[in-house]
Amino acid sequence: MKLYYFSKMPHHEYPDEEGAHYPSLRLAFPNRFFDRTKAASNYQRYLTEYELADRVGFDGLMINEHHSTPSCVNVGANMTAAVLGRTTTRAKLLILGNILPIEDNPVRMAEQIAMADLISGGRVLSGFVRGVGVETWWANTNPVHNRERFEECHDLIMKCWTEPGPFRWEGRHYHFRHVNPWCLPLQKPHPPIWIPGTASPETAVWAGQRGYTYVPFLVPFDIARELFEFYRQGAAEAGRTVTPDNLGFLICAVTADTRAKALEAGRHFVWRMGPTLRGPVEWFSPVGMRSRAGKQFALKARPRSLATMSYEELVAEHFIIAGTPDEVADGFALVQRELGIGHLLLEAQESRMDHATTMRSIELMGAKVIPAMAHI
Amino acid sequence: MRPHEETISVGGIPVHTWVGGQGDPLLVLHGAGGNRGWRQWMERVAEQYTIWAPTHPGFGASGDAEWMEGVEDLARFYLWWIDAAGLGRPHLLGQSFGGWTAAEMATMSPGAIDRLVLAAPVGLKPEKGEILDVFYHSPQQLRELNVHDPSAIPEWEELFGRAPTPAELEIAERNREMTARLAWKPYMHNPRLERFLPRVSNPTLIVWGREDRIVPAACGERYRRLLPHATLTVLERCGHLVPIEHPDAFARLVLDFLGGKARP
Repeated sequence: MKLYYFSKMPHHEYPDEEGAHYPSLRLAFPNRFFDRTKAASNYQRYLTEYELADRVGFDGLMINEHHSTPSCVNVGANMTAAVLGRTTTRAKLLILGNILPIEDNPVRMAEQIAMADLISGGRVLSGFVRGVGVETWWANTNPVHNRERFEECHDLIMKCWTEPGPFRWEGRHYHFRHVNPWCLPLQKPHPPIWIPGTASPETAVWAGQRGYTYVPFLVPFDIARELFEFYRQGAAEAGRTVTPDNLGFLICAVTADTRAKALEAGRHFVWRMGPTLRGPVEWFSPVGMRSRAGKQFALKARPRSLATMSYEELVAEHFIIAGTPDEVADGFALVQRELGIGHLLLEAQESRMDHATTMRSIELMGAKVIPAMAHI
Repeated sequence: MRPHEETISVGGIPVHTWVGGQGDPLLVLHGAGGNRGWRQWMERVAEQYTIWAPTHPGFGASGDAEWMEGVEDLARFYLWWIDAAGLGRPHLLGQSFGGWTAAEMATMSPGAIDRLVLAAPVGLKPEKGEILDVFYHSPQQLRELNVHDPSAIPEWEELFGRAPTPAELEIAERNREMTARLAWKPYMHNPRLERFLPRVSNPTLIVWGREDRIVPAACGERYRRLLPHATLTVLERCGHLVPIEHPDAFARLVLDFLGGKARP
């Protein structure tokens, strides 16, 4: 099983009681609490941590993107991929992902991903996401068009990568009369495509039909298995065989020299599970963004919101795995056995988990955990 | 005078419609909250006019219209619908989102309608303040923000006094989705409408609630300035749901205006 190191590049650099005054840390928490000096040093720190993860043997570095939230100030996934394309040498760069529905120019996006792939020597894994509702607000894109735009943006990007230009694109949401990008990915015909899932059965089916790697994020095992079933349905419709290489899963994880230290460090993930997910449903899921089926599945997938779970419960449910290297290796093996996945994505960082702790966790993963994963 | 329900189809879309009353036709276009059925103010107005109150495409029991992209599409649709229903040249009354639709219809085809009544219409960007972002708020919050004083509303209990059924919640969600489809961006207004309104030749009555927390009452003044033959009446102790909050006063204003001979 392959392991991926992921930092959300959070900005947990304000007094928690200030954030608690607002209905959500997203959209409404004023950016006067954004500490520019701290952010400048944090970006350096986070990139250094990614670079160590590359050196110690992680199979990939996962990069994501959010907006208008302290939970993730990586506001340009392709920018980060370009930087890491130069400063790392071997790990895949898993952009998971670009938020397609809010993109107004898919041709520009196709070019940027291609450029990151070229700079990195063909190491990009190109994830495409629908985004949480917050990003729809941020971009002011009509949520009722979210799925249509996701699919049309995807189709245009793929055409940019697979069909020679110049050509014309006149769809429902995108109109370009002269498409001829002078920047194509190094990987032929294009970088592998990855799709995350949290609740939408339609997305799982859609990814299965195309043979894309599909990765549920932080859902209970039984829900992940159900989503993988939808994925298999889609794959079967297209006559595709599903292997562990098609399936991944995302959890939070940290290791340390002692169990006590690891459990203390893992406690920082509670902020990510709780306060950063707090907010009105209208902000996280604006009207029309989810289909009726997706909405019903989401209710089932989250019988309890992560925000209401204690640290102990999050650990018991394997949303967080924290322990000695041997313990986390056992935990990862358990996830693999439960889900039959080929890729495990580790959200392994939080801004209040200090740099030394983060670096030590990465080192130990490289020295002891990654080798243990080679056999499963 | 009991109203009845009809389905009138045009452009492949079945439109659920309340019809009742006697006299010249009055087409009534509902707001973003959906068609609230046969209301007290309509009962009064229906004594002298035949009310046709359709449910917008994509709302309630009417058919889907996922191809529509904006209120101008809906306005064009209702101009067809007037012909399909055989209304001749009806008076036209719209509330809030329906008021915006009515104003667009008048700019497209002033000759197709007789007199125009706009109750707290959206459609114009306020010169000061903002139109409340209804999609950013929960339905519960909106129910509070929509009105000035629930205790003074005769139909409050009937309309909002009990928890909605699952079927009603489903319809409310559908109504919100269609509203988002038509009015997400630019949000609840058409930047070009101010160019079109001065060409509207129809006598127009604009009614607003002084305490409107959804659309600033100053928008009423703006509509009045832009429409060549308009009067504005502002009701005190009234929020955004003008016809629901003050049914008798609203019905009186409408009847007086529609029955008036001279242009204001």
